[in-house]
Amino acid sequence: MITVVRAPAYLTVQDSGRKSMLSAGVPRGGAMDSFALAAANSVAGNDPNAAALEWALTAGAIRFDQDRNFAFAGATPDISIAGRDIPPLTRVAARAGDLLEVGPLTARRFLYLAVEGGIDVPAILDSRSTYLPAALGGYQGRILRTGDKLTVGPATGSRGEFRCPPELLPRYDTLDIRITRGPQANCFGDESWRTLLTAEYRISRSSDRTGYRLEGQPLGHSLGTLPSEAGCPGAIQIPLDGNPIVLMADAPTVGGYPKIAVVAQADLPILAQKKPGDSVRFNLVTIEESQRALRRVAADLAMLRDRGQAAHSRQ
Amino acid sequence: MNVRPDGYPLGDGAITLRFGDARSAALLELIHAGARHLRRRNIAHVEDVVPAYLAVTIFYDPLGASFEQMKARLISALDEMDSIAPAGDAGREHVIPVRYEGVDLDYVAAQTKLSREEVIAIHSGRTYTVDLLGFVPGFGYMSEVDPRIQLPRRNEPRPRVAAGSVAIAAGHTGVYPLPTPGGWHILGTTDVALFDAGCPEPALLAPGDRVRFQRTE
Repeated sequence: MITVVRAPAYLTVQDSGRKSMLSAGVPRGGAMDSFALAAANSVAGNDPNAAALEWALTAGAIRFDQDRNFAFAGATPDISIAGRDIPPLTRVAARAGDLLEVGPLTARRFLYLAVEGGIDVPAILDSRSTYLPAALGGYQGRILRTGDKLTVGPATGSRGEFRCPPELLPRYDTLDIRITRGPQANCFGDESWRTLLTAEYRISRSSDRTGYRLEGQPLGHSLGTLPSEAGCPGAIQIPLDGNPIVLMADAPTVGGYPKIAVVAQADLPILAQKKPGDSVRFNLVTIEESQRALRRVAADLAMLRDRGQAAHSRQ
Repeated sequence: MNVRPDGYPLGDGAITLRFGDARSAALLELIHAGARHLRRRNIAHVEDVVPAYLAVTIFYDPLGASFEQMKARLISALDEMDSIAPAGDAGREHVIPVRYEGVDLDYVAAQTKLSREEVIAIHSGRTYTVDLLGFVPGFGYMSEVDPRIQLPRRNEPRPRVAAGSVAIAAGHTGVYPLPTPGGWHILGTTDVALFDAGCPEPALLAPGDRVRFQRTE
């Protein structure tokens, strides 16, 4: 069991989301930074898709009510356990009664806290992810509050030191985000494409788990809205005012704005970690290059998972 | 299949197969049949099939198949469709009881210069087809609403519409499965659950299903 002693402004349970409920209108959801979720889980000795805590915005504290290993990834606030500072992406042993204190999130946007055994909330539609707009999944379908107690799954018996090699991490500080051509790419003229690929766009204040609005040079098109069709996390849609919106994890499954491009899945964690006011630039790659980049990330994460498990079988 | 769709990547893990450029009932029927066929085929690495007005989008695991491999498999699966698709392969039929006492019934009657009774009779007097699901879990966009009661959506969406609200906007009607913001005109309420997260198939409606609304007290 772990107890939320001081809840931050945003704290939910997330795993890798729901892959096969899109046709029922349920978004994929899951961790905004899928890399950090998998990395934190692997370091803690869990399956990479296990349920963890997704934390944003403000400081807070959690108490371990039993001995458990844990790890964190993604954002890099000051974190201490029982008064001792701890580094990210490192397996740490907590003892029953230890207080985990997290400072405000300044660099990057989402912190993932993986506890050995995973957060044990009921799986709803094959996932433990919280989908707030429908109050679905997670802990009672809602944001965690002070006093909430969460059960954790069976201990994996992981012992010993383990760290994620920092060279595996996405290049969180880069401005450059790879994109591929979207289903309506041809509906945008040369000038719109030139703008999209040369302008810097800033993440707007109105951006959340549903989508990130971008500010910068608007893109012209004469399409208006189209008959609705499926979108996906990373799709860059262009509404009537021309200011791009990147769909994120909780975006509705269908929509009518034309999609000029889609962010490469390998780079979606980088975009997800951008805060309001941060800038991005878009670089066009082919679908083959984009899928190859994703396979490299998947291979890195598989290696990390295997090493994380080897690190406990040695004990 | 006599229409060969164009395939476009929708990012690393999805392909949008576009069957046409203009909405029509015939095109939608073809798309629903194509989507059901692709589902039945259980093609390796396919995770979901999402039909819409002009296109079907197939979500797949890009670690299992590349875009070109998946596109070729999908097109070839659709090529066999003529010989496999059973005649009359269509969705289910639902009857949804409605208490017609919605907050916008008077407004709709006034705008359309009809009586409340006429609005109710017109809305419950035809069978609708579920075009697609989306907006929120379990929400089916159904068409086509009788032109006599078609109105554009409200200028100011309501911040919260109760679950079970039966509403119309332009050519569409639908039932809000969950309490959400909403900009459609509310004609009534149903007790039928449109979305049940405890079921393996949580949405009552599926694209291609047919729905009738039955007046109840």
